Amino acid sequence: MSGSKHPTSINPTYLKNQFAHRFVRALKNLNHTATQTHDHNQIYKRSSRIKIAAYTAMASVVGSRRTWSRAVLWKIRNRSRNRSRIQGLLLRKRTRVDGKIISCHHHAKIMSLKRRNLKRDDFNPFRNSCQESKLRKLVPGAETMDSWCLIGETADYIKCLAAQGCLCYSHVNVFVVM
Amino acid sequence: MNTVSPEMLQRHYTTVNITGNDTVTGGNDVSVFERQQARMKWHQQQQLGGLVEIKPDPGLQYGWPDFSDPCQDQMIPPLMADHNLKKRKSTLEDQNQKVNLKDNIVKEKKIKGCSDENSTETSSKAKVTEVPKQEYIHVRARRGQATDSHSLAERVRREKISERMKYLQDLVPGCNKITGKAGMLDEIINYVQCLQKQVEFLSMKLATLQPRLDFDIDNLIMKEMMEVPAVGYSSELANSSYFQVNSLLEMGNNTIDTMLKRSIGGPVSIPETVVVSSYFNQMQPAGVTWDGDLHNLYRMETQQESSSIPFQPHKFTGSYEESNLKMEL
Repeated sequence: MSGSKHPTSINPTYLKNQFAHRFVRALKNLNHTATQTHDHNQIYKRSSRIKIAAYTAMASVVGSRRTWSRAVLWKIRNRSRNRSRIQGLLLRKRTRVDGKIISCHHHAKIMSLKRRNLKRDDFNPFRNSCQESKLRKLVPGAETMDSWCLIGETADYIKCLAAQGCLCYSHVNVFVVM
Repeated sequence: MNTVSPEMLQRHYTTVNITGNDTVTGGNDVSVFERQQARMKWHQQQQLGGLVEIKPDPGLQYGWPDFSDPCQDQMIPPLMADHNLKKRKSTLEDQNQKVNLKDNIVKEKKIKGCSDENSTETSSKAKVTEVPKQEYIHVRARRGQATDSHSLAERVRREKISERMKYLQDLVPGCNKITGKAGMLDEIINYVQCLQKQVEFLSMKLATLQPRLDFDIDNLIMKEMMEVPAVGYSSELANSSYFQVNSLLEMGNNTIDTMLKRSIGGPVSIPETVVVSSYFNQMQPAGVTWDGDLHNLYRMETQQESSSIPFQPHKFTGSYEESNLKMEL
């Protein structure tokens, strides 16, 4: 039990290194247009892409060890899949369903595990508090977890978010220096 | 002292029950249950040998607290328990056996854990006093509660959750004073929201800065970012940016500080005017401005939950609000 509480069980330095590598690589692959556009839309799009790159990098470093990282990666993949088929509405709906079915395979185990725990939570008043539901919305992939797992996931998520924030911050600093 | 008869003890219990003391609600059942528990332990914890016999008679503990402090009772059981245990064994066997069996098993896990911890103690006297203390706490915690397996499992679960909440308390800055679960959850929710907003803000900043750069410096970026962990930039820095002053963060203060001040206060100006030199290698004793700013931000955000983020750059008023919703991925 104590092993699962210590988040990711990764050395934080290693986490940061890996995250930095992947993040910079992803940023490289992003728009290389040197045009200095002050267009709001473009900047907004770029920033959302950067944000997605950051989350992807972070989640891929953690990998499938944690539910939140799996959920983040799945959401991103699903989103890109949906985006690529944006031409046909029907197709898009179908892919959403397909995406769900396909992703069910690797979520099925998780869900079945959680369903087992859910029944025990029926008499727990703490679960239905709006705070906990808020937390569930914030932490990705935590909607169907029991309270104990939720708190563990939150702890891990907070650690990784903090590391991510630090590294993004230092990245911005690098850009500022230049 | 050595010949405490069961009748005396039972009389004691009845008197306690009659007085209607709160601590003895469920009196007989509980006391009997605890005796049962002690007996089960005596059977199953053979590793402790004599120690088990000396394990306190919980019934005694229940009988006495209404007169004195619980802490004072710890020495009494060892003196009397073994005799009482044997004498009352016969009276217990027919009582509440099935109901308490599961509970005993659940509790024994804990008490075994306690006894494992105690087995490292050197003196047996220390063991004797240690075990009853922990046992007493366990037993006491369940006082007045139903003794069925459901509630016990519930309690075990709650304790696990509270253990993790304590761990979270260390992670989230500024949670040391808050004790309740609700307050803690509020802080955690706030903190997660702030971290997510921070990432969004930083990505926005990067989006404005990035196209201006020559992409030959990618290697330089990697070098700089690799230096960060080498200098010991730990993940706690995000926390420290709220409340503590960290040396590395001070270095960054002068750079991001002016940028943020502008973005917080007024129109954003692309930081062409910010001049910094090798901040990673310098130890600058800077002020607490960055921390103060972020602290204010944190406070402001706790007050307003809307998307009107103070550090929102004026340029992106509209678009930032959209992007400021929770992770919309």
